[in-house]
Order: sequence, then C-alpha cells, then structure tokens
Amino acid sequence: MKKLKTLFSPRKLVLWLSIIVLIFTLPTVNEPAMSQTDAIVTMLCVDKVEDKIKVAVTVLTPSQDKKANYQVFSGEGDTLGSAVDSVSLAIGKEMGFAQCGIMALGDELCEEGVMQALDYMTRAKKVGRNAILINFTGEIVEFAQAISNLSLEKSLNLDEIINFDKRYILSQDSNIETFYIGYYNKVPLGIMPKIKMETEEDYNSIEVANTDSGSNSNMTTTGDGEENKKFLVNDGTISVFKEGKKYMDITPDMVKKINLFINDAQKGSIVIENVTDHIYNDAKIVLNILKKDTKIKPKFENGVPVYNAEVGLTVFIDEIIEDEINKNLLGREQDFLTDAVVEKIKEKVQLDMLDAISFCVSNDVDLLSIYKHFYNLKNKQFEEYLSTVGEKNYLDGIKFNIDIKVKSEN
Amino acid sequence: MKINYRQLSIMVFMSFIALKFLALPSLMYVISGNMSYLVALVLMIVDGLYVFLILDLMKKSGQKNLYEFMRECLGPVLSKIILIVLIIKYALVSANISKGLEFFVVENLYTEFNWVVFVLPLIILVGFMVYKGIRNIARVSEMICWAIVVGVIYIGLKAIAGVDILSYLPMFHDGVLPLFESAYVHLSWFGSATFLLMLFGKVDFSKEKKSQMVKYIIFAILLVQFLYFVFYGLFEVTSPTHNYCISDISQFTSGQSSINELSWLVVSLWIVAQAVQLALYCYCIVQGLKMLFNIKGNTLSILIVLIYLFLWSLIGENTIGLEKVFFTHFASIITLVSQYIVPFLLLIGYAVKNRRKNIKQGEKTDEKIKNIIQS
Repeated sequence: MKKLKTLFSPRKLVLWLSIIVLIFTLPTVNEPAMSQTDAIVTMLCVDKVEDKIKVAVTVLTPSQDKKANYQVFSGEGDTLGSAVDSVSLAIGKEMGFAQCGIMALGDELCEEGVMQALDYMTRAKKVGRNAILINFTGEIVEFAQAISNLSLEKSLNLDEIINFDKRYILSQDSNIETFYIGYYNKVPLGIMPKIKMETEEDYNSIEVANTDSGSNSNMTTTGDGEENKKFLVNDGTISVFKEGKKYMDITPDMVKKINLFINDAQKGSIVIENVTDHIYNDAKIVLNILKKDTKIKPKFENGVPVYNAEVGLTVFIDEIIEDEINKNLLGREQDFLTDAVVEKIKEKVQLDMLDAISFCVSNDVDLLSIYKHFYNLKNKQFEEYLSTVGEKNYLDGIKFNIDIKVKSEN
Repeated sequence: MKINYRQLSIMVFMSFIALKFLALPSLMYVISGNMSYLVALVLMIVDGLYVFLILDLMKKSGQKNLYEFMRECLGPVLSKIILIVLIIKYALVSANISKGLEFFVVENLYTEFNWVVFVLPLIILVGFMVYKGIRNIARVSEMICWAIVVGVIYIGLKAIAGVDILSYLPMFHDGVLPLFESAYVHLSWFGSATFLLMLFGKVDFSKEKKSQMVKYIIFAILLVQFLYFVFYGLFEVTSPTHNYCISDISQFTSGQSSINELSWLVVSLWIVAQAVQLALYCYCIVQGLKMLFNIKGNTLSILIVLIYLFLWSLIGENTIGLEKVFFTHFASIITLVSQYIVPFLLLIGYAVKNRRKNIKQGEKTDEKIKNIIQS
C-alpha cells in the first residue's frame, strides 16, 4: 500500500503527466493532418432532379490564398446519404458538416417535403440546428457557385444578409431550429427566405460571376471556366411550408404587411400619399419606422374569439415629395408629424394589416400565430370554440381589431 | 483539514447547479411539459431546506464523522445499511456526471473523438483531486465558481431575445399529476444536499453565517430557473430533442459569429466545474467505503472508485435502457431515502438519544440526592 501511495505522490506527478502525454501523442504523430482527411463544409445545397437527389457543397480549404479557399463540389444519388457519399468519394475526404451555416433547399425538394433531408442532416451528419435555411430557385451547382463567389468577390456572406434582413420590415428568417418548432407546433407551419438565381438583372439583385461548370461535373473551383453573368435576387420573398412541404410563396409586399404583426421585425418604411394640411400640399411622404411595438391581445366576446392587435409606431419623416416644399420645413431637424400625417399613417397601416389578415385567412396560412395566441392565452375558451367549429376551420369565426398608435421620435 | 463555511456555501452552490444544465431540462419536458421549471423550482427549494437540516445535524455531531454519529443515534446495523444506501447514491450521481460529460464531449463538442482520450485523463484528474482531499475540492470550487456564474448568465442573456413567453402558457394544462410524476422520475438529479453527510466533522463552523448560505442557495435556484426559462422559451416543443442544454442554448443564434466562439469557452469552463463535482461525489464514495469497511488509508478506496468510473464509462449507448432503469425508479428511491429520510432518521435518533441521556442523568442526580439525604 505504501508503494502505491508513493506512486501517486506529488513528486511523481511530472512523471505521470509525461506518461499520459506520451500515450496520447505517440499514436497521433503518424496520423495525417485533418485537412487531408476531412472537408469543412460551410454551405450545403440539396435539390431533387428527376428522381435523383442532388447535392452541392461549398468546402472551405484552409489556405493562405483566399481566392482558392472556397470550392464547390457536387454529387447525386438515390438518397441524400448516397449523394453526400458520392461527393466524399469524388474528393477523397470525409464531409464535416459541423461548420455548415447555410442549408439551401431547391424548389422541387421543397415541394416534396424537406423534413427527411433536415432530419438526416441534423441527426446523422450533425449539421447545427442554427444553420440558416433557404429555399432557392435555379440550378443547384450554379447556385452554390454563386454564393461562394458572393463571399469571395463581394465580401458578402449570405447568413449575414439574412440576419440583417430580419430586423427590417422586409423579411423573416428561419433556421433549422425555428423550422422544427414550427413543424411540431399545433399548426405545422414553417417559413424560409427565398433566394432566386436569375440571368437578368433585377432592381434588388446582386451580380455574381458564375462559372459554366457543366451538369456532370463533380468539382467546380472558383475562378476557372467560362464566365456567365448571374444575379442573386433576395427581394424579401418567403416560402411557406405546411407540414414540411412547400405550400406557397409570399410576395415581398405581403411579407411587409404580415411583418406588421411580428414583433421581431422592428424597422422599415411607410409611404403615404395625398397629404394636405397647413404644412403639406398634396405631398407624398416616406416615413422611416424607427421602432415598432406589436402587442397581440386575444379575447372572447360572447363566445366569439377577438384578435386584438395593438401596434405602436415611432416614425420619422424621411422624404417629402411635393411640388413646393414649405419653407418652414427646410433645413429643420424637428419632425413635422402633423395630425393629417398621423391619420394617413393609421389608415395605411390599418389597410395593410387587414390585407394581411384576409390573405392569411383566405389562404389558410396562420402566419400571424392566431392559433398559438388563443390556445396559449385563452386556452379553455379556445378549446370550447374549437370543439364547435372544428380544428381546421378555426380561422373562419375569428374577429379582428386593430389599434394603431403613431408617435414622432421627438 | 477542515473547510470553512464560505467554502461550504460555494460547494453547496456548485452542487445545486451541477446536474441541471445538461439533459435534465429536456428529459423533464417529456413528462411535465412547459411546467418543468416549476418541478425544478420546488425540488430545489426542498433541497435548500435539507441543507440547513443536515448542517444542524453536522453541528450537533461535533467532531464525529457520520458513521460515529449515526452509530450513537441509530445503532451500528442501521448505520451500516444507511452507509450502503449513501454510497449507492453517490455512485449514481458520479455515474450520471461522468456519463453526461462523456457523451457531451465525445458526441457534442467534437464530431470525432476517442472516448478513452477523454475518460482516462478525467479519471486520473478525479483520482488526484480525491487523493488531495476535500479542502482541495473546496478551493477549486471557490476558484471557478464566479467564472461559471458569469458564463451561464452570459449564455442565457445572449439567447434571451429569442425566448417566446407564450410557450409557458397555458399553465397546468394537463393538471398537476405530470408534475408529481416528473418530480419522482427525476428525483435522482436533485438531492443536492446529500454530499454534506460525508462532511461531518470536516467543516469549521467558527465563522458561520447562515445568511451567506441562504444567499448562495437562492442564487443557485435563480440561476437554474433563469437558464430553464431561456431553454424552454427558445426550444418550446423541440425541448426533448436538446440533451445538451447549456451548449444548445449557446448555439441557438443563427449563423457563425466570433461571439459564438466565446460560448464554447464558457461551455469548456463548465466542463471543468463538472469534473470538480465528479471529484466531490467520488470523495463521498471514498469516505463512505472507509467508514463502511473501516479502511484506514485512502488509496484502496480511491482505486475502487476509479475502477468503478472506468467500468461505467465502458457502458456505451446500447445500454441506454439499463441507464433509464438506473436513473428513474431505482435512483429515485435511493435519493428519496438518502436525502429525504436519512436526515430525519438521524434527527429522531439524536432526539431519542438525548432524551435517554437526560433521563439517565436525571436518575443519577436523583440517586445522588437520595444518597446525600440518606447520609
């Protein structure tokens, strides 16, 4: 026992430490570098083309030459697993998806359902659930190439663009986690921003030089090949999914209206027209929304569910478009938010919100979380209501009230 | 070598938060849904009350160790049985911590990782800490405590913007029965005061400040509640799929950013805290074995504990069913006895012993008085 005790004495600690270091060092010194055996995937694109699953991955190769850092590889197979394996086989490296920040899903796959692909990638391939989800249109390899070029040539990252957009009343974002939460909710809805790949320039598109890689190629390296002009369009369109399958696209204009109900979207702009009072003369005014506070207060009135939305807007007058600018306005920093302007804003926002409601009800897409608000806040009454109208028809009998408050920054 | 009251308070604090930040919130959600935080709150308050009960017993015991105190109050047979139950409890908690850590590091922190590379150094570290004694564990706890607190608050605050308050409603939708069931099934994750039983005779109460202990316990409860508030508010219905609470919260925000890398630093620090907790519970096993078999030195008991830890780490994922049995009914009953019944038995035994002593003293005094009168 005494011998054993001396073996663990503090004096022998250095010896023990050296032995441990040796045990773990010796087997690893002959191992190849991980960069030779593993590929760091930063973006994964998946689509279905003629009954085959096609994948394109953007792989980051640690290198001093930034231009050669990102490479796009593609492969296909009968299943997503076999498609990923085909890429691995082609490049002779194991695909590592832990750093994958974007998962882009093609239209055809979205229409067939995305849950199997998401499940496989998060469970078996360990794609982080914070990876941004995107629905894209266009050829898969071209799209992956375009996104790769975006960061190389324009120093723009798609995840940064999407994260920026969600603060504005223009777009909504979605990552795998929020998509899962939507899918497993009582009303299984999910959304993804839609990025389009166009050959012609649009008003809000970004030009990305694209290589003509050919449809059968397994490997595309940035900077090689014949250049075609391609444009990425991120106009705020969102794709809506019901039970994991793509249900419809929503136009940027409607997204803007729907986002008036969403508290996360804090900023944006409103355009009002025909404002006439003691300051303005038939003016068109562009207002910058500095802050938006939306409170949803569901209640029941005589057994009828009433969805109350209170919207508080803090605005600043940005542009005044009229024939002759009032001299009192010129060069003044103070805000001229007159009663007429406030009334016009209220009118405009109310119309937009009503439009959003009627869109959601007529298309049976509860993007305003109406079910969730009633179920969580007025549970017993709502369950009684559901038992009378049925789960599927709950949107039909709901009344809507909108209350808008507008104030100036000053 | 005794630890002071402040060190003891910090160890209680660390023990309160130790098992709470990995799989527990996700496991609880399966049974008690969005009210799981309430289950944790009630059980932690009960744990807090038991801390004071055990500390009171500790003071009554004077310089005696647990077995000596128990033998006086409850007799040698019952004392040995209680020691066996306590050793099982500590062994279960140690297994829970080591397995949780192993899964977390091998499966979550790294995509490919040889478990031996993690488990062997961990076991050696634990062995060394136990060998150095309780003061060493207390001092390390003191050193890392506030870094852990700051880290956990940072991780929670970083993700709090994504919390949906609506996910906490409706309250008690399925009644209170699931809450009781959840409390029973997950009881082994609580019982944070049981380690104190092995510290009888090892705490210096000369600078005792009860308010200090109260503050640490309240702070531990608030910290756990805060992180659970963020966890359930972020993940809602997908909570049962998040077995690594603290790291999953830290990784919730979309995209890659440098701030996310800082989260891993916090998570790594938290792993160190878990290792210290593992050492604490292994120390408790060693003390229990020494008392049970009247072993003089520490070395043999430490070796037994380390072999146990190693064997436990050999049990892989395919024995998950076995683990479920261990960590539900069996472990719940062991926790129920070790934390909630043993201190009361000791209290009753002590009261009875004191009464007998008083009666005996009374009888002796009566005899003396009689003798004086007769003489």
